[in-house]
Order: sequence, then structure tokens, then C-alpha cells
Amino acid sequence: MLTQEYVNDVLKNQCVNLRFHARGGQGGVTASNLCVEAFKGRGICQPKFGAERAGSPTESYVRLSFDYDLIRSNEQVYGPHFVSVLDPSLLTEVDVTAGMPQGGWLIINTVMNQLEIQDIVKRKDLNIATIDATNIAMEILGRNITNTIILGALIRVSHLFSLEDLSDAIMRRFKGEIAAKNIAAIKQAIEETCLYEVNIELDFSKDTKVPWQQVEPGLPGYKELDKAGVWYCDENVIKVGSDQVNTGSWGEWEMVWDKETCTDCAQCWFICPDFAILREKGDDGLYHMAGIDVFHCKSCQNCLEICPVNAISKRSKQGPASCAVPEETGGN
Amino acid sequence: MSIEPMKIFFKEIKEPTETTMIGNYAVAGGVTQTDPDVICAFPITPQTQSVEGLSDVVHQGRLKAAFVNVESELAAISYSTAACAAGARTFTATASQGYLLMTEALPMAVGWRVPLTMMISARAFNSPNLSIWNSWEFTMTNSELGWNCIVSENVQETYDAAILSVMISEDSLFPTMFVHDGFIISHSVQNLSLIPDEVVRNMTPKKKRHTINPKHPGTWGGIVTPSFFMEGRMNLEEAKKPVLGIMEDVYKRFEKATGRQYRSIRTFNLDNPSKTAFITMGSMCGNIISYMTKHKDVGLIKIKTYRPFPYEDLQKIIQDHNIEKLIILEKSDALNGLLPPFSMTIASALYPLGTLFRSFIVGLGGRDVTRDEFDIAKKKMETVKDMKGPLYSYLGVRETKDKIHGVSK
Repeated sequence: MLTQEYVNDVLKNQCVNLRFHARGGQGGVTASNLCVEAFKGRGICQPKFGAERAGSPTESYVRLSFDYDLIRSNEQVYGPHFVSVLDPSLLTEVDVTAGMPQGGWLIINTVMNQLEIQDIVKRKDLNIATIDATNIAMEILGRNITNTIILGALIRVSHLFSLEDLSDAIMRRFKGEIAAKNIAAIKQAIEETCLYEVNIELDFSKDTKVPWQQVEPGLPGYKELDKAGVWYCDENVIKVGSDQVNTGSWGEWEMVWDKETCTDCAQCWFICPDFAILREKGDDGLYHMAGIDVFHCKSCQNCLEICPVNAISKRSKQGPASCAVPEETGGN
Repeated sequence: MSIEPMKIFFKEIKEPTETTMIGNYAVAGGVTQTDPDVICAFPITPQTQSVEGLSDVVHQGRLKAAFVNVESELAAISYSTAACAAGARTFTATASQGYLLMTEALPMAVGWRVPLTMMISARAFNSPNLSIWNSWEFTMTNSELGWNCIVSENVQETYDAAILSVMISEDSLFPTMFVHDGFIISHSVQNLSLIPDEVVRNMTPKKKRHTINPKHPGTWGGIVTPSFFMEGRMNLEEAKKPVLGIMEDVYKRFEKATGRQYRSIRTFNLDNPSKTAFITMGSMCGNIISYMTKHKDVGLIKIKTYRPFPYEDLQKIIQDHNIEKLIILEKSDALNGLLPPFSMTIASALYPLGTLFRSFIVGLGGRDVTRDEFDIAKKKMETVKDMKGPLYSYLGVRETKDKIHGVSK
């Protein structure tokens, strides 16, 4: 475990890097802003710049230090010592451990245990902290916004700032009642965080940036483009087609269709903005409801609202909390 | 909304306050404190929150300004110029294509000598593809229209620039644009220290100046024959000459009131063994300063005042420190075989001195500029012995899927 003294010592002449993975609307950027606001030294926070849409995977970066010259760089973060994942479904979709040095802390909103997580991220040299932030959020905030809650887990493992510092920052930023609820949720999170440690020391001075990774080798170079501003639909050059994007993972809920209740009125089929209601031609030569295309359903819930017979319902994607002890110990 | 980014500006700021903010909201706050009469801008990424923040403050009632919604950037600059000519302290803001759409009206503000201020969140022009990310478009076509231009490195600087610009505009009676790198500064949260309202009020008093006035009728920008036009241009040229001095004076007054030091050019570690220095402006300066904590053999010349260009100061700095080689880093290119605009400016200032330089085009369309670029630019500069061959090259660009341009494996 990192201690307060050790972390303070590191911050004197090193930069501590953090990365937040979230989905648009979950407040990942707000979480990283709060880190800078709560931290007593100098900090910088950058969202991964681009067009954010509700539910799409987002990233934001934070660098903290007591040495102003180190923080003065506007480079993005390439080697994060602490990575927070606000939504467990991102684990399979995004490389959340990219650039993490060994002994780094991976903080996840999940009910999975160490072995399951290690299996997904394919790394055994990372410390893992888990927190069922979704349930705390639904319970206390009434909405699946896990950004402040994950900061509770971050405080528990990193000692970069205290609960008091964070509470102050939240009170400055949020309106009264919302601030109080968030602080209560953070307190609960600090208590309920599960820690799975590996015995590898985290070396803050090690630079894990791969030379030229910002240039993204592997994508076509300038010699391989035909006419710079003209992109033909040629899959050999650029992979195209938005139907290849798993927008289904952006949704907060899993939509459930009940075949027995359904009257085949097709109102859901008309209202779905993503063509995610599936219909098939039956033996009678007519089209009938066949199910929901989970790969593309963003759970906008239009179908649920329009259905006249309540044949469509929703269920939470994350199950109940459990701090399960893994059967064999991980590590290395 | 559960978060109120402009909350801190909803009431009088009585003492220096430490806070954290994104660049755009910081600008909105700085502008609020200068008490503008008219705010008129059209939203465009990555400039949007600056105007959004101001609309919050106007709506809340703290700022008694006319917040004018218009249908385009051309309308915004036309309205702003006219409002400013009528005597209002006016703020507008734009980026990229919006800046191009403003182009038609930009020279008017100079010709009429109206002290307008404009924020620019530097973003690429949409060629070859649409990009909302950072490049230095503001250097590209409109540098010579006669606007003053100051460039900021970080959130603190861009907040200060919102106030400095009003001081510079009103002292010089030329419009001033202040620039920060889009997204890199406009959307990144950094620590900053706010100046008390009283101090800002003292620095930016509303002075009497020439305005459109029915008691003193006249035409503004009416047609002239060849008998008068050239005299008008030369009059502007003469009026522009003292502006650099006015800016230095503004920087000094600002320093006295706030303790934060600005100069047209700042230098870092110039007395280094290799007698080499980077020269650039904007957010990249921060990257280089961090880089220099580990690499002591190179210096940095940071340009704050881009227009009018402080070429005499630059020449003096290079002579005083015996700088032999300059590495120019810039986020724009030129396409026709000439040096890109920022490098062109530096090159003409260096001409009488004969200092060796090479220009490196980096970070176009938001590509991150990292230690890799600085390392290789420094290495390439070591072998430069004369001014023969191409004077500029691209850095940090893929040549093919598995080769990076100019980097041997």
C-alpha cells in the first residue's frame, strides 16, 4: 500500500499521472477536474479532446505534482500510475491498462473479483481496487453517475488528496443538496472499496511512453492516402461503416423484449432511432418482431415508452455487489 | 445544471483567489471583470464556452452587458466593430472557419481605430478534412491586417490576456486578438489565480475616446479616391509604431498590480553550452519548459506578442546571448514551398544577423507534441552548418503504416 508520506515525497519532484475511463454522461471529465481542484499542489486535467456523445467511451487525463515546471507541460498522459474505470463494460472495449507501469493501480467500478479482472485485462502486475459504484450511485444519487464515487476509491489507494479536500472541491462546484449527496456517496465508497494487491513496487520515475506512440503507427501514412481530403469507401485503406461500431455498449440498460405479451404492432420498430428492433418474415409472409439488436441498442428507452402493452422492459447491466475472495491468489 | 462553472464570478471578487478552471471559462471570467458593454459572438468549437460563460454571468445579473445573438461570425464582427465604434467596450470570440468568415470585416476595426477585443481558440482550417482540433490558423492569412495579437501558454495566461487585451486595445486604439491553443488550453483544467475586481477596474478605466456621435457627425470608412488612400495607410503605419512600447507599458502596469510578469519575449536557459534555442509560442512552450527540466543543453525563446512582432527585442536577445542556432517550432504549414507564417516572421527578423535556423512543422490538427519531437529536432539541428537546402520539415507524421517521416528506425 502507498502511504501518505511516500506519495507526498514522490509529488515533490515527480509527476503523478492519472487516467479516467468513462462513458459520455457519466462525468469522467468532472471527476478528473475535481482531482485538480482537490489537490493541494499544481495540477492539470485534459479531456481526450474530441466529440463526446452520451454513452460513448471517453478518456481524461490528470497530472499532479508540487513542482510547477513538471506540470507546465501540456502533453497528454501516456503512462498513468492510477487508472479509474467508471463503467465495467469498458474493460472489454478499451485497453484500459495501456501504458500503465507495473505496480500501478487499476480502480474499477465493478462487482468482479481480482482473477476475473486479471483475465480480462491480461495483466497480473497491477494492483486492483474495486468498488460497486453503480449500486451506491443508484442508492444515494438516484442516477447511475459514478464519477465522484470512484474518487472515494482513488483516495483510499492513492492519498493524493484527503476526503476533506475533495468535499471542499465538491462544495465549490456543485449545488448544495447534490454536493451533500455526493459527499455521502464518497464516504461510503472509501469504506466499501475492495483492495487486491500485488507485491510490486510502483516506480514513479519510470517513463513508459513508447517513442512516437502519439503518431499512432499502423494507420495509413501520407504516402498511402490518395487525395488527402477525399476518402473513398475502400476498406483496404480506412475501415468504414458506423454499423461496425458497438453502440450497444453505450447504453445504461439492457432492454428486454417479452414475446408473449407483444402484439406485433411495430410501433417500437418505427420509433427506434438505431434500427435495433429486429423483425423477421414469418411463414404467413408478414413481418413479425424477432428481438432486440443488443450490438446497436443504446437503451434510449423510446421503445419502452411507446409500447402499448408493456412488452418491453429494462434491467440494469450490473449485478449486485460482492467482495468475493478469489480462489487462488493472483500476482506476478 | 448541477455544476455552475461561472459561480465564482457571480459576485464581487474581493481578494486574490486561487481556483481551477478551463481556459474558456477563465476567459469568460476575465472578460466579466473588465465590464464589457456589448458581447457579441457566434459559437464555434473550441471557443464556445467562453461565450456560454458570459451568457451565464449576464443572465444571472452580475454583468450589465448587452448579450447579442447573431446569425454568423460575419454578423458578429460587424456588430462588434460598430458597437465598439459607438463607444461600447466590446468582446467577441471565434476560431477557424468562423475567423475566415469574419475576414471581410476584420480590417475595418483597424482602419477606424476601434479598441475591440477578440478571443481566438486556435483551431485548424478545414483542409484537407474537417478538424476541430488545434493548429495555428490565426497566423495564416490575417496576420498583416493590423490587429494586435498576443498568445497565451496556459489557462492563467489566457485569463490575464482577457484583461491585458482590453488595456492594450484602449491604450493603442487598435483592435487586439488574444489567442490560446484550442482544446489544449481552452478545454484543459488548470490552476489559476484570479485578480480582485477592484484591481481590474483600476487597470481598465473607461476612458473618453473617438466614437460615432450625432453631435460630431462624420463618415467612418467612406470611399476615398487615390488622392487619399495611401496617406491613410501610412497614417496607420505611423500609429502602429508605438504599439509595442504601449504593450510593454501595459505588461509592466499589470505586473505592478498583480505580481505576474509578462514581456513581449521571455527567455529560458539561453546561456546553454550548445548555444541553441527553441523558439515558439503558445502551449508548446510549457511542454518545452518541462522537457528542459531533464535537458539542460537547450534554451527557449517564448514569443508572447505575435503582432506587432518585437523583432528588435528578438535581435537583441540573440546577440546578447550569442545564440547560434534556432529551432523554430510551429503549428501551421505553408504548402507552396515557402516558410510557414510564424517561421517567415522569425526569418525576416533574423536576416540581418545571419543566425542559423530550421523550421519544424508539428502538432497540426491537434496531434500531441511530445519529447520525441523535441529530441529529434534538437538532434537534426546539431548537423546544421549553413542555410542551404530546405529550411522546413514536418515532424511527427506517418510516412507509411510502419514508417515515421524523418525518423530512422
